[in-house]
Amino acid sequence: MSNEVALELKEVTKKYKKTNVISKMDLQIKNGEFLVLLGPSGCGKSTTLRMIAGLEKPSSGQILIDGQDAEKISSMERNLAMVFQDYALYPNMTVYQNLEYALKVHKVKKEERQQRLAKILETLNLTEYQDRLPGELSGGQKQRVALGRGMAKQSKIFLLDEPLSNIDVQLREKARDEIQTLHEENQQTIVYVTHDQLEAMALGDRIAIINDGKIQMIDTPDNIYNHPANLFVAQFVGTPQINILEVDVQTTQLVYAEYPVLTNSARLAKLSVPSGQLYLGIRPEHVVVKCKQESASELPAQVEAVIDYGRYQQLTLKLEEKQVLKAIITNNNFKIGDIVYASLAEDKILLFDHKGKNNLES
Amino acid sequence: MNKVKGSSWHILLIIICLVLLLPVVFMVSNSFKTLQDSYHSMLQIIPLHPTFSNYSTLGKQVDLLRLIWNTFFMATLVTLGKIVTGLLAAYAFKYFTFKGKKWLYFIFVSTIFVPFTVVMIPNYLVISKANLLNSALGVALPQLCDATGIMLFLKAMDKIPSSLIEAVHIDGIPSYKILKDIVVPILRPSIISIGAIFFINSWNEYVWPTLILKDKSSFTLPLALQNYISSEGGTNFPLAMALSTIMIIVPLLIYLIFQRYILNSISSSGLK
Repeated sequence: MSNEVALELKEVTKKYKKTNVISKMDLQIKNGEFLVLLGPSGCGKSTTLRMIAGLEKPSSGQILIDGQDAEKISSMERNLAMVFQDYALYPNMTVYQNLEYALKVHKVKKEERQQRLAKILETLNLTEYQDRLPGELSGGQKQRVALGRGMAKQSKIFLLDEPLSNIDVQLREKARDEIQTLHEENQQTIVYVTHDQLEAMALGDRIAIINDGKIQMIDTPDNIYNHPANLFVAQFVGTPQINILEVDVQTTQLVYAEYPVLTNSARLAKLSVPSGQLYLGIRPEHVVVKCKQESASELPAQVEAVIDYGRYQQLTLKLEEKQVLKAIITNNNFKIGDIVYASLAEDKILLFDHKGKNNLES
Repeated sequence: MNKVKGSSWHILLIIICLVLLLPVVFMVSNSFKTLQDSYHSMLQIIPLHPTFSNYSTLGKQVDLLRLIWNTFFMATLVTLGKIVTGLLAAYAFKYFTFKGKKWLYFIFVSTIFVPFTVVMIPNYLVISKANLLNSALGVALPQLCDATGIMLFLKAMDKIPSSLIEAVHIDGIPSYKILKDIVVPILRPSIISIGAIFFINSWNEYVWPTLILKDKSSFTLPLALQNYISSEGGTNFPLAMALSTIMIIVPLLIYLIFQRYILNSISSSGLK
């Protein structure tokens, strides 16, 4: 049951005038899965969600909901609920009426309505606000009402369009936890759009990273972070951004400037890239910074900036030829201007081909 | 410097207020004068021999309640018609997609620029053929739909966030319910103020009703008023002023009741 496909996109394309916003997107979402669509603004993630909701029609391709062609079923029969970025609460109705309205129109019995809503209001801590108008609520409360309205429908599929982007940072984390708990309790299929990678990492069973109207990678947060499919994904996920160096392939090693940064010849042999250049990616937390050079592979650098976050420090190192390397360390004894040596954890190094920018090992 | 500027503005505004108020004061004061006084001391604000006789004479000469009712009924019919058709059309123009929408809207709006005198005679012919002369419906029928109303409602709907309508769509709410439960309640202030303006315009209407309403029992207030200032009814100014005073009561009441909405929406929509 849990592996059944709840929602499927088949070669879906969306054009506005002549530009492709979404091109030939394929996507499968399993029953009960929490899928996050993540991407920079304008990448087409909201458009994808709106097409699933039936607010936009694909220019070509097919959307299947529970195996049925979505175009042939009305938005009501699609059995989905959506939470909008600006909440879209009905300003003329109280909190309770907002939650109740769709149920009332669809003739859900009064006792059942009351039961359902009482539980939702309770879960979302809204019981005492149920007679207020949306105009009298704070941002976080409005967001919870919007969430509650979506929940009240008990739909199979729940769509959320950047639901947390309009509330304070402090509240955001709490709301994020709430959404996660709700998903665990109700096991609804959730499609969640966000541009916030932390939110995506925290919530998603799987994350689909979208750029230029195409899915760049769709996988678990762990794989997205540790085994990005291409350079875009690697750079989009993780703060501070992953370090990218251009390296030369020499028969048994990878060389940055004159420093052999990767000497594992077995690994290199598998790549089947005889020569030329590659992009090397290394996350800042995998850069080890030392005061003295201990091996030839360590890169000499100058400390350009130190940011102390308390729990850890972020160093900006300047290599030769203006190349910048960021490092995250936990021993705070470097000062601006210090000459240091950076060593890259070999097993954490990611390699991307120079042309297609794809991960060579995934 | 600013103070001087401010007070000079105030003086200007006070003058404008006086200019606007003067005819009303003149009307009310003359309605309490005798015929003689009104000729001898027309500009005297406080009547020398105040009298209610004009009102009682009016009461004997015309059926005041009937006049008020006729006018009220006609104006209400026109107002409701314009609001209902205006809202429906605006909703369709705003939220439906259909072929030729832009053209249709263009044609609708262009009717605003057709002078009344151009359609007066064709409309009259239709109404008389339909046997609707002397009836409020005859007056109201050609006015039940109005492009200005569509335009104003459409403007008002622009202020409703599109996500709100999308949210209701996803919830599978039929369009008529969206209009009734969401759009109308949100637009209530605009509807009231636009409606008030429609009502007052219709209340004051003169030319078109004179064509349709020939029978005295079907007369509206402006038509009855004409009897007192035309050569036919002589020139009894105090009587005419008394009737005018009665005539402004209903619009004034409407304004008083709804002034909160009217002031709000005039200042926010730039509607005149």
